[in-house]
This record gives sequence, C-alpha cells and structure tokens, in this order.
Amino acid sequence: MNPALRTSASGMVAQQRLIDVIANNLANVNTTAFKRSRATFEDVLYETLQGESLVNYQSNESVAPVQIGKGTRVANVLRFHQQGTLQETGRPLDIAIEGEGFFQVQRPDGTSGYTRDGSFTLSNTGALVTGAGYLVQPGVTIPPDAVDITISASGIIAVRSGDNATATVEVGRIELARFANPTGLESLGENLYRETVASGQPMTGQPQEGGFGRVVQGNLEGSNVEIVIEMTDMIAAQRAYEINAKAIRASDDMMQSTNDLVR
Amino acid sequence: MIPFSGLLTAARTMAYYSRRQEITANNLANINTAGFKADRLVAHSLADYPNPVPVEATDLRQGALRMTGRPLDLGLEGSGFLVTETPGGERLTRGGSLKLDGAGQLTTSDGFPVLGSQGIIVLTGSTIQIAPDGTVISDGHAVDRLRIVTPEPGTALLKEGSGRFVAAGATDTTDTKVRQGQLEDANLDSIGGMVSLVEIQRAYGASVTVLRTMDGVLGSITNDVARVS
Repeated sequence: MNPALRTSASGMVAQQRLIDVIANNLANVNTTAFKRSRATFEDVLYETLQGESLVNYQSNESVAPVQIGKGTRVANVLRFHQQGTLQETGRPLDIAIEGEGFFQVQRPDGTSGYTRDGSFTLSNTGALVTGAGYLVQPGVTIPPDAVDITISASGIIAVRSGDNATATVEVGRIELARFANPTGLESLGENLYRETVASGQPMTGQPQEGGFGRVVQGNLEGSNVEIVIEMTDMIAAQRAYEINAKAIRASDDMMQSTNDLVR
Repeated sequence: MIPFSGLLTAARTMAYYSRRQEITANNLANINTAGFKADRLVAHSLADYPNPVPVEATDLRQGALRMTGRPLDLGLEGSGFLVTETPGGERLTRGGSLKLDGAGQLTTSDGFPVLGSQGIIVLTGSTIQIAPDGTVISDGHAVDRLRIVTPEPGTALLKEGSGRFVAAGATDTTDTKVRQGQLEDANLDSIGGMVSLVEIQRAYGASVTVLRTMDGVLGSITNDVARVS
C-alpha cells in the first residue's frame, strides 16, 4: 500500500475540519457576542528512512537524512477574543462589555459560567438573569416597583422606585471576570464558557478598574465574524482539499500501473 | 547476469519516484499549515559511486505572510527561528499560532514554552505587543525578548513534526523580524504541487514501460533464442 494515500487523506480530513469551523463561524455571524474560531494545522511525525551518512570517505562527502512526513493534523481550534462591534438596541437590560471581561452566571448545576452576551431579563422575583434564565452573579434584585433602571459604565445599577420616584437608589453592581488565557475557555453553547486548566483561574473585579472594560447599557456586542475572511479561508480550504484528492488519484494510478506489470 | 541489471535499475527508479510521491503528498497535505517548509527529494550523483543517491532537502525559503489580527499569531520574516523547550531539548520553530497556558506562559500551539533571552516568558497583563525585534511588551513594560536563532550553516535540520526542527547547533541572529498578528503560509504553491504530481506520475509510468520492455527482451532470450524451429 502506498503510504502517500494516507498522507493525502490526512490533508483532506484537515481541510474538512477547516470547513467545519468556517461553517460554524458563518452560522453564528448574527449571534450576540459570538467569538470566531480558526483551525490551525501542524505537520505530523516524520519517518527517518536513512540518517545522515558519509558516502565517500576520500572526499568526506555526506548526504542529508531522508525523512518522509506522514501528513497533517489539526493542532488547535483557536478562538479569537477580539471585541465585536456594539449594536445599539435601546433596551435597558441589554448590556455590552467594551474591553476585557465576562459576565458571571450561575449554571443549574451550581458551577459558574462566563458569557459576554448581556441580553439580560428579570426573573419572576426580580433577579437579573440571562436570556436562558441563569442567575447573574453576584445576584442583583430589581424592586418590583422600579420605574427606571440605569447602569453606569462602571457597572453600578441604580433604579428609581416607590414613593421616592425622583431619587435614584443603587441596587447592585455588575462584577466581571477575566482570565489569563481566554482562548483556553471551554465553549458550552448558549454563549456560555467554562473555566479550564488552560484558561487559568478567573480574576474578578469591577468594570473600568484593573484592566476590565466598561459596560454599555442599551447595547449588545455583535459577533466578531468577518464574512470576507471566512470566504477567503473557505476558498483556500476547498482548493487544498481538491489538490489532496488529486494526489490520491496520482498515487492510485501509480499503484495501478505497478499492478499491471504482471498480467 | 548482465540483462538483469536493467531490471534492477528500472525498479530502483520506480522506488525513487514512489518516495518522491510520498514527499509531495506530505507537502500538499500541509499546504494550509502555518510555517510549514516543503521537502524536496533530488537524485544526487556522487563521484565514483555507481548509482545516484536520493538526497532530501528541506526548502527553507520564506513563505508569504498573511494578516490574521490575532495578537499571538507570529510570523517570521527572515531566516531565523524561535526557540521552544520540549522534554527532548530545545527545538526550533517558525512561529505560528502561539498561546498562553493557564499560568500565563507563552507556548507553541501544542503547549511547549517559547523561550526568551531570560527563559520562559510569563505574561499576565491585559495587552501584549511584540516588536519586530522580538521584544515582548505587556501593559507598556518590556518583559523579555524572544530568542531568534539560525541553525549552524552546513548542518542537517531534522523535522520532528508539529512544526519543530532539531538543529545540531544554532546561533543568535538579529536579521529576522517578528510580525505580530501575521502567519507565515506554507512555502509551496499548488501549481508547483500539481506539476510535481504529473511529473512523478509520468516518470513512474515510463519506468514501468522500461521494466516491461526489459521483461519482454528477457522473455525472448530465454524462450525463443534457443529454440530450433
């Protein structure tokens, strides 16, 4: 069996993975706070067929080693945590983060999740929850008679409520978390991420302090998918796929003509 | 025995072209691998040595740099290599998509630390800038400088996979620029790859024809020459 067949097949599999990642990016082009990913490749083990050897003792001539590579594989699918553009919605509980940081939410199993999707709503008890209904941490409860909710750039949530409808009362503050390596976070779907060994421990803090970004009320962060980049990557992947298919056919033809030697 | 040497020569040529096909297949499989350097197999004739020796050479020419915008994508412009520390010792690599691990160490995409002049680079700040000379700046402070080396001339550079090279010796260099937010494409083009595929396939086919012709001649000699009709 010609090993070139498997080598070329690994190239086709890798390009297929690239297309999978691009398809997911394009599917999420309008998903709030979606971060695009990119597949990166690496070459795999090399078989050293003959080491560097001396071939002529008189003239001290040596030849370089012959190494045959065994194809490619997906090294990583890296997520790009660049800022998405802010889109104004005018809804008071839509909050975007401009700069670094994630909102912290409590998942149903009690563990923490992290998200940049700030399309929050209120639960039946007035607690601030995500669109999927997870509690925002630390918990903030808006009084039922609140008439006007304002969230400052530093995350302070203030309302006007009750009899004293002219003065604003602070009811809580948004706390953000950040990570040494946000690319290492694990995607859970629903715009949520989970910490991993690779991401490092969350460091919490207030917006606009210690490297955290500011929060912008009435806005949502768009996805950072650039359609033009995805399209060009898709063309590159498709062409690479085709040429690997051609290499398989060439190897096949060579094996065919060898087999035809004895009739 | 003399007639059989032709058969052996044709068989050796076929083996040579199958090997070239394997190498071309590997080059083409890595056409989208950042920092990949293509391999070439050429037949090398040696003085007073009867048969050509297949010699492999890694083509170290510069690949095209492509903008990605990711701060830890590093493309090198020039002949230098970054240095990474693996359990097997120091290895050379042409950059690529670096990342930070949980402790903030700068690593290659498969997790081996990238070395600066003071050893492993730890980044905990919120911004990372890398100057063309390799200086790593985090939150406005220079943290370290990436080590950039070139292998000793005339020594073999072995590939280890995952974009790593094993060098017999390497010296520091300053003629290589580090481009942040860019990746180096593989240094092969698909047109050249197609041409190689066609060339290999045809040369292989020609050797098969030679072998078959030799076989026919030998068949005539063994079966027909001694026959008295």
